[in-house]
Amino acid sequence: MVVRIRLARFGNKHQPFYNIVVAQARSARNSKPLEVIGTYNPVPQRPTNLSDEEARSARPYKEVSLDRSRAKYWIGVGAQPSDGVWRLLNLAGIGDGRSKAEN
Amino acid sequence: MPPRVQNQLVTNSLLPYLSSSSTPTSTISKIPTQCSSSSIPSTSRRTCRPFSSTVASQTKLRNEMFTWLSSEGTALKNHVPGSTNYLTQFKERDEQPAGRTRPFPLNQNFISESILSEELRNEIYDRVVNQKKSVRAVSVDLGVDMRRVGAVVRLVELEKRQKQQGKSLALPYARAIHEMVPTTPLYEDTRDNRSRPHESINDLPVHKLTDPQIFYPVSESRQFNRVDAGRVFSAAPALENKQVTNTAADPAEVISSITQNPSHIEKVGKGAAEQQVLQPADARIPHPHLIAHERFRQSNPNEYREIYKAYSERLRQEETAEKERKRLAKERREQQQTKVQPESSRFEFRFKDVVVSKETTGTDGRGSKAPGIRYGVPSYERKKGQVKIPTRVEV
Repeated sequence: MVVRIRLARFGNKHQPFYNIVVAQARSARNSKPLEVIGTYNPVPQRPTNLSDEEARSARPYKEVSLDRSRAKYWIGVGAQPSDGVWRLLNLAGIGDGRSKAEN
Repeated sequence: MPPRVQNQLVTNSLLPYLSSSSTPTSTISKIPTQCSSSSIPSTSRRTCRPFSSTVASQTKLRNEMFTWLSSEGTALKNHVPGSTNYLTQFKERDEQPAGRTRPFPLNQNFISESILSEELRNEIYDRVVNQKKSVRAVSVDLGVDMRRVGAVVRLVELEKRQKQQGKSLALPYARAIHEMVPTTPLYEDTRDNRSRPHESINDLPVHKLTDPQIFYPVSESRQFNRVDAGRVFSAAPALENKQVTNTAADPAEVISSITQNPSHIEKVGKGAAEQQVLQPADARIPHPHLIAHERFRQSNPNEYREIYKAYSERLRQEETAEKERKRLAKERREQQQTKVQPESSRFEFRFKDVVVSKETTGTDGRGSKAPGIRYGVPSYERKKGQVKIPTRVEV
């Protein structure tokens, strides 16, 4: 059976919030995973406490929390990230920088 | 209840009851005849006392009111621009100026708090933004609470931005409010602002730990001061004698070391119940350096220059310590975070490092320190009585 690193949706209606989880590929989305290695909040947050110059160039941000060492470990033992998680891991510098389709 | 007669033109919309006083004598004489010849239908009167020819007793007070309005009350009809128009103020105009803050003569407990005048407001903004003085220093110099200083700076900033954008300001409203309630002026000599402050700037916030009443017997041979009381409230062991003598020798130094390094405060309790020892009131007030200032002034009563020098030195130390603390906190936050701005996205991604281990998840995997929403733990999100109204503003 394949172990996947994927997102499990929590939060409310119109307020998505994801756990980044390591789970068996065939298990249900929100079932209890092998491990939770982080979270992803896809709702863009507006940065605060900025000066006028900073505010002009500031982008809204999305928050990701991630245990890098655990992510590396699970990829090392053959866990397959899903598309969304693949992209996040690439941004975090854990993947090899290529998109999943290229691999 | 007699019908309300409004046959006069309302001249002052703020004080509608005064409108009847414009022709008070005629009103009074009219009252008995009103029932029969009033233009306004007074059905209630007809039904309750249909055959009575006597004047209703209720109108006596009303009569007195109109007499008063025609005699003494006329002074209140038009207010003096730039001052409040309170009844008490009019009554005690010559006697005591304290009547200015109590608008209701029969309710002495109601005190109308004064607001900042335009000049004082602009002075605060000027000192903080243009002269680059710290909020703490401005607060002490002008006698305004530090939180209010911050709010004034933000609001004036907002007002400027609105002016720039060509938005209209509610100036007549502001003018009316400033005439209705007392204001704190900016005195010619700004030292007056310090001696006659806008509000009390050094109030001690009530700490939750001080709520319980504790009966704590102490031997007479021992000194028991605020430091000890704080330790009792937070259930910390009493200080040793050597430490006590050290703190008694130089209290100002001890207090400043606490306020400048709040992370070094001793902690008690284990695990999740760990908390800082409650500090004495001298350290918890907003301006602890003022106590040291006052002590120094009493010990050197006539050396004004020395006093001022010591004060500014103390203030400078506080400020640098605060700045350093903020810088370190920011650095720490930055270190835990990597920001990525991908070319292809409008957004920035902020990666925070977390730890997934046995320590954080716990043996059953439900530890609250682990990242993510937990499994098998009830969420009280939709439970009745959960207050979701934000209690603070993110600036």
